[in-house]
Amino acid sequence: MNFGVREVALGTRANAAPGWAYIPDTGVNASVTALQPSSRKRARNQHVASHQETTAKQDAKILRELAALDRENHRDVSIPVPIRHRDNAGRVSHGKVTPNVRKILQSQKTFANHLSDYEALGSPLTASAPIAQPSAAIPNTPAARGTPGSAAPHLTSKGTRSHKKKDPNAVSTPTPLRKVSSALQITTPAAVKTESSTADVQMIDAPILSQGSGAVPAVHPLDNDPLLISRIPGMPSQAEIDWLLAAPPLTYNEARGSWVEEDQRKPVRQFCEVCGRSVLQDMGHERAMGYGVGVFGMAEALH
Amino acid sequence: MSPTQRRTKSSGPAPPAKTLVLDNGAHTIKAGFSGLGIESPTPSIIPNCLARDRDKKVYIGSSLSACKDFSEIVFRRPVEKGYLVNWEAEKEIWEHEFFDAKAPLHCDPKETGLILTEAPNALPALQTFCDQVVFEEFGFARYLRCLGPQLNAYNDIQSIYTPPSTRPANLTSIPPAEIMMLIDSSYSHTTITPLLLGRPIQSAIRRLDVGGKLLTNYVTRLLSLRQYDMRNDTYLVNEIKEATCYITTDFKEDMEKTWKGPKGDRRAVYETSGGIAKDYVLPDYHSLTKGFVRDHDPDAATKLKEMTKGKPIAASEDVLTLRNERFTVPELLFIFLSYRWVYGQAFLANIIVVGGNANIEGFIPRLQMDMRALAPAECIVRVAKPSDPIVSTWQGGASLARDEDRLAALSVTKEDYDEHGSAWVARKFGGR
Repeated sequence: MNFGVREVALGTRANAAPGWAYIPDTGVNASVTALQPSSRKRARNQHVASHQETTAKQDAKILRELAALDRENHRDVSIPVPIRHRDNAGRVSHGKVTPNVRKILQSQKTFANHLSDYEALGSPLTASAPIAQPSAAIPNTPAARGTPGSAAPHLTSKGTRSHKKKDPNAVSTPTPLRKVSSALQITTPAAVKTESSTADVQMIDAPILSQGSGAVPAVHPLDNDPLLISRIPGMPSQAEIDWLLAAPPLTYNEARGSWVEEDQRKPVRQFCEVCGRSVLQDMGHERAMGYGVGVFGMAEALH
Repeated sequence: MSPTQRRTKSSGPAPPAKTLVLDNGAHTIKAGFSGLGIESPTPSIIPNCLARDRDKKVYIGSSLSACKDFSEIVFRRPVEKGYLVNWEAEKEIWEHEFFDAKAPLHCDPKETGLILTEAPNALPALQTFCDQVVFEEFGFARYLRCLGPQLNAYNDIQSIYTPPSTRPANLTSIPPAEIMMLIDSSYSHTTITPLLLGRPIQSAIRRLDVGGKLLTNYVTRLLSLRQYDMRNDTYLVNEIKEATCYITTDFKEDMEKTWKGPKGDRRAVYETSGGIAKDYVLPDYHSLTKGFVRDHDPDAATKLKEMTKGKPIAASEDVLTLRNERFTVPELLFIFLSYRWVYGQAFLANIIVVGGNANIEGFIPRLQMDMRALAPAECIVRVAKPSDPIVSTWQGGASLARDEDRLAALSVTKEDYDEHGSAWVARKFGGR
């Protein structure tokens, strides 16, 4: 877009004075493309990667409104803990405050802070869980899959240092336990073994098919009638049950239900966010019929 | 209490005589003592918040019941998204409820065990904080941190579906239910936990970030858009929601009834909406401290009507009329709660719904209907809620506290903590 203007040789002296000069137009100009977003016209007929029929602007709006719906109070408020309580017997009655507790009590982190901390840490707990490794059934644990390399152990040990200074064995990876060989360290895993195994044994010993208050029903002559016979699915084996129960917890984000194919299809019915009425997708006038533009304008102004 | 006394008390094998069962929800704490010596354990429901009313008076926990004027009240809640995050505020509330000299549920933590619930899929850092505060700050003699849903397995599940004709006189303790699917629809989120022998199948727990708070905020939004600006009165909107919302079994039909119709063709059915329209009389916090619901009366004089018509205000009552707000908002739960997780048949036959949202009218029939439609034809689908779904988790905990052997096997004592540290405790509770 140089309009055919040819570059004027300015000589070797660099002109420091403010003003302008013709320069060669080489390639894409960032300022121009910013004004004309690439998407609009060129992307009209091309397949968009996102399955959702929303634009970035709509996505941002949805996220904003979800955040608004998640708020505790409409306005930002801070309610400090009443001071008279803090100084009074409350604290004293429990004796000295340990450094851990002081740190915890003074922390003003929100859940979002903790969550991003955890994500930055590379979720060491799932990564280190040995049970998760061979299973294909445990869904999407990218961290677990990435483990065998050296990155994850490095991260965990780093996390131990930065977060739990007091406890050398803070993170429950099996590796540090094996490496470190102080007396305490040796007794600890043994204790864990016995503790957890007793708990397991106790649970397993419970008869699997007994029912708390259930009495066996009286025998009926038609019990073996093929029409009436009830089919009970086979019990899973003890090993399967153990395996299910031993699986480590998912992380916060993994526990969120993921999109399935149905979600990614175009929704069958859409609901108007203002009146809750179902909106037929291809009939734009439906939207305008129930209520005028004014209501939408008001909605925009309010939120 | 002197240190020597403490040592003699807890070093012996004698377990603490009573256990504080603490279901630490985001909205309310369900707390009470249980143990073998306690005849009929009953929970107290304590608001888990610091609240400040328009006169800048701050209420802590249960003292909120002294508040007379809830307009423009604001809250600070230590539990965020179901997880205990802010210990500064939580400690203040716990002190007020359990440890102060004139606390309603006063106890000495050194002689008391603790069963504390947490939401599934918690962050390890928050769990560690929790363990540290429980032992290092309060010094409970014995401590069990477990998933809230898990405790429900210690209730007598089968009696929820078919209430027994004769209840056993003294129910000391029952073994945990073998298999059940627990849906906990609470203030911050809805979680689905399959439980086997009283233990959660961790890899199958799913969470939906829709809970009572989101529903309340959505009602607030709709009311603010249509009638009064209620955005600073979420406490009141929550009461409106609890009083009026229901879950429909025929969404389309109900929407049709509440449709005003296009301009120039207003529908006659709209005014009462076939019984769906309800009036909520707002409290003025002078003569009326709590609002109430009644059937919609189109001729009643209300302040809002007179205001919109420009008449001088003579009506005594401020009324909000709710129509499709009543069922569209809780419908959110069911739009998202698409039951796509394939579980075993036994899980389908033992679905229990707990948490505050389970009290929304029509929740159970609707869930039963939807699950029935999705489940294979030969499966039995049973959905039920306990008689009081809010304290059900607590009752399970109370039942567990009476089973000394089981509780001892699951818990951690103060000595264990002092000897092995918090990482060991985390591993023990994590089942690793």
